[in-house]
Amino acid sequence: MAAVRDNVFPTRMNLTTTKTRLKGAQTGHSLLKRKSEALTTRFRAIVRKIEDAKLKMGKVMQNASFSLAEVAYITGDISYQVRESAKHATFKVSAKQENVSGVLIPAFEPSLQTASQFELTGLGRGGQQIQKARAVYIKAVETLVELASLQTAFVILDEVIKLTNRRVNAIEYVIIPRIENTISYINSELDEQDREEFYRLKKIQGKKKDRAAAAQKLLDESAKQSINDGNLHAGIGAGDESSQTEVRDILAEQADDDIIF
Amino acid sequence: MNEIYFNIDAGYLEGIVRGYRDGLITAPQYMNLTQCETMDDLKLQLATTDYASFLQNEPSPLATSTLSARCTEALVAEFQYMQQNAAEPISKFLDYITYGYMIDNVILLITGTLHERDTHDLLEKCHPLGFFDTMPALCVATTVQDLYSTVLVDSPLAGYFRECLSAEDLNELNIEIIRNTLYKAYLEDFYSYCQSLGEPTGSVMAELLRFEADRRTVNITINSFGTELSKDDRAKLYPRLGNMYPEAQTKLARVDDMDQVKSILEQYSEYKIMLAGVSMNASSSSSGGNSSGDLSLEDRFFAKEVQLNKESFEQQFHFGVFYSWLRLKEQEIRNIVWIAECISQQQKDKVNNYTAIY
Repeated sequence: MAAVRDNVFPTRMNLTTTKTRLKGAQTGHSLLKRKSEALTTRFRAIVRKIEDAKLKMGKVMQNASFSLAEVAYITGDISYQVRESAKHATFKVSAKQENVSGVLIPAFEPSLQTASQFELTGLGRGGQQIQKARAVYIKAVETLVELASLQTAFVILDEVIKLTNRRVNAIEYVIIPRIENTISYINSELDEQDREEFYRLKKIQGKKKDRAAAAQKLLDESAKQSINDGNLHAGIGAGDESSQTEVRDILAEQADDDIIF
Repeated sequence: MNEIYFNIDAGYLEGIVRGYRDGLITAPQYMNLTQCETMDDLKLQLATTDYASFLQNEPSPLATSTLSARCTEALVAEFQYMQQNAAEPISKFLDYITYGYMIDNVILLITGTLHERDTHDLLEKCHPLGFFDTMPALCVATTVQDLYSTVLVDSPLAGYFRECLSAEDLNELNIEIIRNTLYKAYLEDFYSYCQSLGEPTGSVMAELLRFEADRRTVNITINSFGTELSKDDRAKLYPRLGNMYPEAQTKLARVDDMDQVKSILEQYSEYKIMLAGVSMNASSSSSGGNSSGDLSLEDRFFAKEVQLNKESFEQQFHFGVFYSWLRLKEQEIRNIVWIAECISQQQKDKVNNYTAIY
């Protein structure tokens, strides 16, 4: 793992971009972590609510089917009558969306039209029981709708939390180490280059010194020569001129060659 | 009716019906039934009753709906046996009893026709007691006009339809109002027929039918609170007979809440006893989690009906026993189904809310 790094040229520009990326990854990581925590809190609350709703549902459904048994006791079978007289739904479910830290969770809301179509059902017998059964069943369906929206939220949140955690872990254990590896690689390469450069400069300096020393020596020697010549032939001024042209020639000749280490 | 000649035509059937009455489930048997823990136990207990032969071939997980269907079959088999052996005027009397079920069946078919359903499926849902020969023909009619002009005029119910409804009404009125209008006409007709049979049938049946009429009156009043049914329409649905006709009925037609109904009913000694301790409000009893001792008004009516029907067996040489036996048997089936529901839904605390007969 430690060796994994991005395939980049170890340049200073890449170092800067990589460092920016590292910063971005760290910000993203902390943001995602906070999101996942918020979601988990919400998730726990929902799990608690689901438990309550499920327990409640058991009781409510039992009540409901028992009230239907009461109706059957008093009125007999009314199912066909009720089915046929139902023209439109009185109990409707509308879905809206709720935003929990960036996750859209559908929430179902029951809405009830109060106008009852079966109010005359069981007019001669058992109307009260029918109305009671109706009320109990409405309550049961409300509980079911509530449970449905909780259950949907549960599934969606579960998925999102898993996704977010996966991302958090990926950033923490894969992306950030890789970027860090890349940075240290670039740094080490750059250091290496620096050292080589430094060495090169030193070397050049050394060579230059050697050459300067050699030239000085030559100059000294020729100066000595010219003094001797001057004593023989003419004044110091003429000797100076000739030695200068001589030295200039040598340098010009030398400068043409490249220095190869 | 001359009591000397009663047994020539009716003696055998009266013997049969009294025998059937002895077959009704008794209090100790009810005790055993309520003690059952599972539906299989219940089935085992019912094996000692008249329902045994109808239940023995049912596969083991017994649904309450199957139980109810089988028990009704038992009832129908016994009733049809009597019908087949009946001579005039008992056969006519028995036919009158079935008209009530016919009304329900016809209403069911009309509902199907109005919603353009395939009415053939509905024939299976019809109560077998209310089956009449031309009923399958109702399925042929596709519009309500057809239904009225071709089929219903030939049925025994034609008179009731002719008296109170026109073909347009069938389309426009609420099906429940039609049902109650028909039932009202039926009760009145049945009452006058019973009176024509002479004593003692007349007086015994008068007692039963008056109670039935009063019960309908009270129920219609209570159930029409807060609905679109106007007070005039409500008054039209009251059967024109019964202990409360006409004085209390005119009052009931105008009341708006339970307390007023209560104060009117308290003027009648037999209903005053019934009302004692009844929570007149179905919603309050439901929210308060009605305990086993707290019975609704409907339960009281059932108890009263059972009591009246039992009393009719105290007299001899009349036809009321047939009607009473049918009512008691129906109550018994309701009781069994109720107990079965309580067992299958594990609501044992309410299992004693049935109306015991003997």
